Amino acid sequence: MVLLSKEDYRHLTQCDTLEDLKLHLQGTGYGHFLANEPSPLTVSVIDEKLREKLVIEFEYIRNHAYKDLATFLDFIKYSYMIDNIILLITGTLHQRQLSELLPKCHPLGIFDQMETVTIASTTADLYNAILVDSPLAPFFKECISEEDLNEMNIEIIRNTLYKAYLEAFYDWCQQKGGATADVMCEILAFEADRRSIIITINSFGTELTKEDRAKLYPRRGKLYPDGLLELSKADEYEAVKRVSELYAEYKPLFDGTGNNPGDKTLEDKFFEHEVTLNVNSFMQQFQYGVFYSYVKLKEQECRNIIWIAECIAQRHRAKIDSYIPIM
Amino acid sequence: MGSLFRSEEMCLAQLYLQSEAAFACVSELGELGLAQFRDLNPDVNAFQRKFVNEVRRCDDMERKLRFLEKEVKKDNLAIDDTGENPPAPLPREMIDMENKFDKLETEMKSVNSNQEALKKNFLELTELKHILRKTQQFFEQIILTKYKKNNNQAALYQQDQETHVPQQYDDETPLIASEFSRSFNRFGFVAGVLMRDKISAFERVIWRACRGNVFLRYTEIEAELEDPHTGDKVNKYVFIVFFQGDQLKSRIKKICTGFRATLYPCPETPQERREIALGVMTRIEDLQTVLNQTADHRRMVLSQVALNIRVWLIKVRKIKAIYHTLNLFNVNIEKCLIAECWCPVVDIDRIQLALRRGTELSGSSVPSIMQQMQTKENPPTYNQTDKFTSGFQAIIDAFGVSNYREVNPAPFTIITFPFLFAVMFGDMGHGLLMFLFALYLVLKENRYMKHKPEDEIFKMMFDGRYLILLMGLFSIYTGFLYNECFSRSINIFGTSWNVRAMNFTDNDVFLATNPVVTLDPNKPGVFRGYPYFYGIDPIWQSAENKITVQNSYKMKNAVLMGFAQMIFGLSLAFCNRRHFKDKLTLYCELLPQLLFLCALIGYLCMCILYKWSVWTVAQSNTAPSLLIGLIDMYMLTDPKSNNRVPLYTGQYQVQIFLVIVTVLCVPWMFLSKPYILYKRSKQKKGVRLDSQSDDDVAILHHENNDANYGKQEPESFDMSEVIIYQAIHTIEFCLSCISHTASYLRLWALSLAHSELSEVLWSMVMHTGLATSGTSGAILSFFVFWFFSSLTVSILLVMEGLSAFLHAIRLHWVEFQSKFYKGEGYIFSPFSFTLIVEGKVEE
Repeated sequence: MVLLSKEDYRHLTQCDTLEDLKLHLQGTGYGHFLANEPSPLTVSVIDEKLREKLVIEFEYIRNHAYKDLATFLDFIKYSYMIDNIILLITGTLHQRQLSELLPKCHPLGIFDQMETVTIASTTADLYNAILVDSPLAPFFKECISEEDLNEMNIEIIRNTLYKAYLEAFYDWCQQKGGATADVMCEILAFEADRRSIIITINSFGTELTKEDRAKLYPRRGKLYPDGLLELSKADEYEAVKRVSELYAEYKPLFDGTGNNPGDKTLEDKFFEHEVTLNVNSFMQQFQYGVFYSYVKLKEQECRNIIWIAECIAQRHRAKIDSYIPIM
Repeated sequence: MGSLFRSEEMCLAQLYLQSEAAFACVSELGELGLAQFRDLNPDVNAFQRKFVNEVRRCDDMERKLRFLEKEVKKDNLAIDDTGENPPAPLPREMIDMENKFDKLETEMKSVNSNQEALKKNFLELTELKHILRKTQQFFEQIILTKYKKNNNQAALYQQDQETHVPQQYDDETPLIASEFSRSFNRFGFVAGVLMRDKISAFERVIWRACRGNVFLRYTEIEAELEDPHTGDKVNKYVFIVFFQGDQLKSRIKKICTGFRATLYPCPETPQERREIALGVMTRIEDLQTVLNQTADHRRMVLSQVALNIRVWLIKVRKIKAIYHTLNLFNVNIEKCLIAECWCPVVDIDRIQLALRRGTELSGSSVPSIMQQMQTKENPPTYNQTDKFTSGFQAIIDAFGVSNYREVNPAPFTIITFPFLFAVMFGDMGHGLLMFLFALYLVLKENRYMKHKPEDEIFKMMFDGRYLILLMGLFSIYTGFLYNECFSRSINIFGTSWNVRAMNFTDNDVFLATNPVVTLDPNKPGVFRGYPYFYGIDPIWQSAENKITVQNSYKMKNAVLMGFAQMIFGLSLAFCNRRHFKDKLTLYCELLPQLLFLCALIGYLCMCILYKWSVWTVAQSNTAPSLLIGLIDMYMLTDPKSNNRVPLYTGQYQVQIFLVIVTVLCVPWMFLSKPYILYKRSKQKKGVRLDSQSDDDVAILHHENNDANYGKQEPESFDMSEVIIYQAIHTIEFCLSCISHTASYLRLWALSLAHSELSEVLWSMVMHTGLATSGTSGAILSFFVFWFFSSLTVSILLVMEGLSAFLHAIRLHWVEFQSKFYKGEGYIFSPFSFTLIVEGKVEE
């Protein structure tokens, strides 16, 4: 299965209707994945089918994997599980029905006990009753408290979980060694730093204290330890920028970003950098990084297709070209 | 030889089709399957083409048919296959078809949703039934344990229960129940049904979330239940949870929803439960009748569909294919579509006829026009095959599709391939088995053609059935020559050797004491003077030096056959050069190549034949070695100077001459062609400079024309490139003469391996059985035979056969075809309904 080429994207952006999009995707690696859908198509159907295809491919690989590769692929799944749990908890906090929330969960991150998280009112409850059996349990240890779940708490849980997850994943890859470590540590370090930076930027103007914030930084990236120390003192965007500019990898990402029209957002820049890292992982052989990159790139590609499809469906062609180019 | 020897002559034709007649014409051409259309709008996106809407409508129809087909298959109805091939319907019929399919789809969908709702209802009732039954058991168990504890009436109670339940039950249970409910009324309970794979996780979560303050019982429902949505069979568990207090209740309910367990109201007292159970039973029965009726209705609709769906699918696929083809056409001119296609020259009449038929069918008054075009592009390669030749053509095409009008090696392969295979696989018995297997496939051909075999390996063998047939036949032939049948020899004509003529002192005693004797053919009478009538003398089977003798013989044979095939390859190259009128390559490349090969390997073959025919047994002690002779030839040493006997008089002089020829051939091959090309290009430049001033306009016009047909040959001449190319070719050819000849020795090696292996199998397996005497020997032979025969088939026939097959392929692809075959063409893939309907072609 190959990724879409520049040519494909050019054709996709020229489509007038979603039917055209479907017709063109038939000629690519996606094949007839929409063939059994009656017209008219909607973006949500396309999204669902794209996701389904990715999941089928992933499960196919997972079912054929054993030992280390199986662990590695499970690690990829954990991040989706974290997202799902957080989604469900937030949803219940806002009095949403479970049936309404479930379709929004990523199918890669579904596990048996997931749907029962709604009964928990404190984090300790959440851990003791539900998550202790799930693969996420080891990541959860740091955030057990008797406090009630509220919005702030959930954000903290999410970030603590992610931190523990990234650190565990990083350490696993490091211990695995070889080309896998070379490739994956690079990608995961970037992921960790991106989280640190985003957490810092998002924390401005909230009641999160600087000490608490520092606890959320994943300590495996290139910013660790000096950068993170500086970052924990920052209290405005410019300060974050100053810290990041000390690192050659991140300097270009901050250059030329802004909220003016025509500028790319920092988030997009991060995405682009992630794509480059993932594409580079295919330069090495005999390592697991390609599986991670494959999933991430495929996911990005799906996001791109959905973006284009949305633009077409909403007749909002001006921004159709601002997808993240992959190759 | 005609069509098989070279690919069909092709031409590029332009078709002018009236817009209203285009559909019918293309439909006729599709039935004919002789024209390959070219895409005239390569720059236009798939969704910007003219007939994209029609294609989309066809896609939609296909989707509906697929849906119907899936439903038919779900009900295990047989799809009617009459083998009928309906013509593509006219465009105006498309709307009818769309309406029909649409109606069927909506009907099917409503039936389905009805059925699903009913099934859901049914499932719920069945689950409730099971719950009532199982919970009854839970309660009874609890009561029993209570009774056992309190007094020993439990046994009595149990007896009562077993003997006359119906009467006594009502009288006694209230008492028990009331007592029971008194002790349990502080406890609430929830009963429900859960998927089997979730039960353990569910139990743990319940335990943890309620801190162990609940009592959970569960048991499996023995019967499989049907999921109403997907129709899959699922296994479920009935569970019941006892708890205390409302808080726990809401929590448990939440967990239940989290695990997607279905909860059912379950009354506390046995009477109520019994009443509900009775109600449920009657409702289930009612529902069952309704369900059966819906199923009947569904079956009726589907059986109608099953009758027609194949024909419908073919029709839709044909329409879709036609519109796909129309999308390739040039539509820029009004009222007219322009198409370009490759077609075989011999079939132009048939195509024109088809066009006329199409025009008539559509009722158009203006005829469609077809005209041939001149082009510089390489036409596709089209080799007409039938069921016999297609297997052989496939072997050739697997290496590379031949260039347009290049000599096609397939007709020669029909004989040489099975022959070379058989040289490596020479055994009458094995050949016969192979032949019979292929014969079975050939005789049952019609049956297998209709029902295509699913198994890929079997399909491959079926496609190559004629190949295997010939391979078996030739193996029988070479087996006769080698005189081997399951590694045993057959003495048909009587051996030419006579042991008695050896005149040992006291013959019988000598033979009894000496298990091995030497037969000297020089003694008069030992060799009868005439060879065994056909093939190898069976006496060699028992000779100690069998392998030595056969090796020398088979090895030389392999070289002879290799030389013959390579020379044949070069003569085919000669045909190619003549056909393409390439005199330069003929004289500057092919001729020296031929001389080189003949002087080097041909001379060796000559020597082999000469030695065989002239040197006799009596001279065998002094016979010269051919190998040493060949080495001496290139060391330029006179055999006499080393006190060796020459093979024939004048050998030295002949060999010196041949070496000179060989050496001279190398510069001839290497230098002459680049030199002449260089000369020519120099000349051309001069001419061009002259002509440019004269007819500038003419050239410009000509070039414009060329540009229309795409690729133009580059005029620039790069000397260094030509020299490097030629050098590579010269070196490759010179080296390959030796290495290819050596490569043909695999004929000997594999044949040796095969006969040795079958010999081993015989002596180690079959022989042990036959050598044991008495009843035990008979029984042993019986079992040994099965072992022997299965090993014969699996190792000697399948494995050895496969290896000999691969080596035969290699000899053809590399050693034979490298002498003349380019294989850089592309295959002719006509627009044909037969291929499209069978699903062999992706649009």
